[in-house]
Amino acid sequence: MTLQDVVRILDCQVVASEANLNSTVASGCGCDLMSDVLTFAKPGSLLLTGLCNIQAIRTAEMSDIKMLCFVRAKQPTQKMISLARKTGITVLTTSLPLFEACGRLYANGLTGIYGR
Amino acid sequence: MAGEKDITKVQELVYEIKVEQVMCRDVIVVSPHNLMSELRELLRDKRISGVPVVEDGRLVGLVSIEDFITCLSEGKMKRRVEECMSRNVKCLYGNEALVSAVEQFDRLGYGRFPVVDRESGRLVGVVTKGDIVRGLLKRMEVDYHAEEIHRYRASHIFEDIIADKTTLIFQYRVVGKDFERAGETSSGLRKTLRRMGIPPTIVRRVAIATYEAEMNIVVFTEGGEITARVTPVEIRVEAVDRGPGIPDIEKAMQPGYSTAPDWVRDLGFGAGMGLNNIQKCADTMHLESTVGEGTRLEIGLHLNGREKHGTAHHR
Amino acid sequence: MVLRTIVEKLGLQVKSGGSGLDREVTGAYASDLLSDVLANAKKGDLLISLQIHPNVVAVASLKELAGVVVVGGRQPEEETLRKAEEEEIPLLTSALPAFPLAGKLYKLIAEC
Repeated sequence: MTLQDVVRILDCQVVASEANLNSTVASGCGCDLMSDVLTFAKPGSLLLTGLCNIQAIRTAEMSDIKMLCFVRAKQPTQKMISLARKTGITVLTTSLPLFEACGRLYANGLTGIYGR
Repeated sequence: MAGEKDITKVQELVYEIKVEQVMCRDVIVVSPHNLMSELRELLRDKRISGVPVVEDGRLVGLVSIEDFITCLSEGKMKRRVEECMSRNVKCLYGNEALVSAVEQFDRLGYGRFPVVDRESGRLVGVVTKGDIVRGLLKRMEVDYHAEEIHRYRASHIFEDIIADKTTLIFQYRVVGKDFERAGETSSGLRKTLRRMGIPPTIVRRVAIATYEAEMNIVVFTEGGEITARVTPVEIRVEAVDRGPGIPDIEKAMQPGYSTAPDWVRDLGFGAGMGLNNIQKCADTMHLESTVGEGTRLEIGLHLNGREKHGTAHHR
Repeated sequence: MVLRTIVEKLGLQVKSGGSGLDREVTGAYASDLLSDVLANAKKGDLLISLQIHPNVVAVASLKELAGVVVVGGRQPEEETLRKAEEEEIPLLTSALPAFPLAGKLYKLIAEC
């Protein structure tokens, strides 16, 4: 699955680093606790989160996560968008809640970080 | 000693950067027609060890402090510069890579070289060892202070580069309770380490561990410092704060244990102190804390893969 | 779909509040932020969360949720288990992270 597919499946808006939409998404990770993302997430994952603040972008940066999707129509601030651009992280937003977003991607064949 | 496959970014940069990118362009020169006596004040006031001699923009010679002393002792101060200067001047070309400059400094033991344009022969600048070190650090976007350069002795770093090993120290101040800026230190360190050519899997572990430590300083303390030391064999990161200290380290090490206030939890943090994750990322970890004084966390990561161990105790 | 069916199909562990397993699950909500659950989860939702704090039970009870699945192999705190029993909120656990668990549940709900 590519990011372009994610945009289609979740009806996303692309808010930062749209140039990377052809990147392959290796796995999905749905989480609001950044401590857990830092502990368990894998590079190459798409992080789906309802936590919309600057530390979500920082956490992605530290974890080598290059793609992030904010759920429930959360809108990142300009500061977050410019940090994402600077660090090469693609940021999407969807109006779907986390459960539906994870569900749709899983139903379309995207697995979790342990490949299940 | 690092093997060929361990070539670091610093070593890569000495091939990439040209002499003209780091040299000083504002050069004091004399004309061959000046009198030697006119050099006296120049050498004394500017504290320089040699002056390029330039005619019509072209480098024609060099008067070193030795040349000057010889003239002085022989009472030849009324002579013109062209009679006393050294004519076979070893110089560098502006478009030469730093690596050849490094070799020349090493081989000839000079403190500085005039730099000329390869085609026209015009003098374009002067380069010292310090210029090279500064240029390398600047290129790595290291926030250096003149004070720091002095402290770690520019020449020392320089010798390390030639000796195929580097010890670089990066220091960052972390502001307490500033959630917006939290992570800037870890981000800066991560970028620097990537630029130095450290393997991405190791950089990721350093970045995550440093970020967890930085978040703890931001969330729980009034501020602190994070220092990273990079050698060819390991990376050490030290995070020090000024309190309040951890009352029960054993408890703090448990996953999910936290005394974080609600505002932190609502921001997606503080579901634990991250100490477990820090330990998971690092090869070694030492944690000391005194209530009312502060906490000192030191982690180490080997650059050549060895076993993990760690301790946590009260002072 | 009754919660008991979901427990069986997804291989969830029942940790506490088993008396509520015959409750009807009308939807699901995935979140680790209790303030978000409080604001947005709907009655009859099954909550998927990393939260193990007793407050997760308090929120589930207040919002009349069908139950809570603690994901990522986390074990709820003693106090949380006690409170779940008391409030009759089924407290379940799964070794799976939130993403695949939400995926499987989504498919299950879609199929029926």
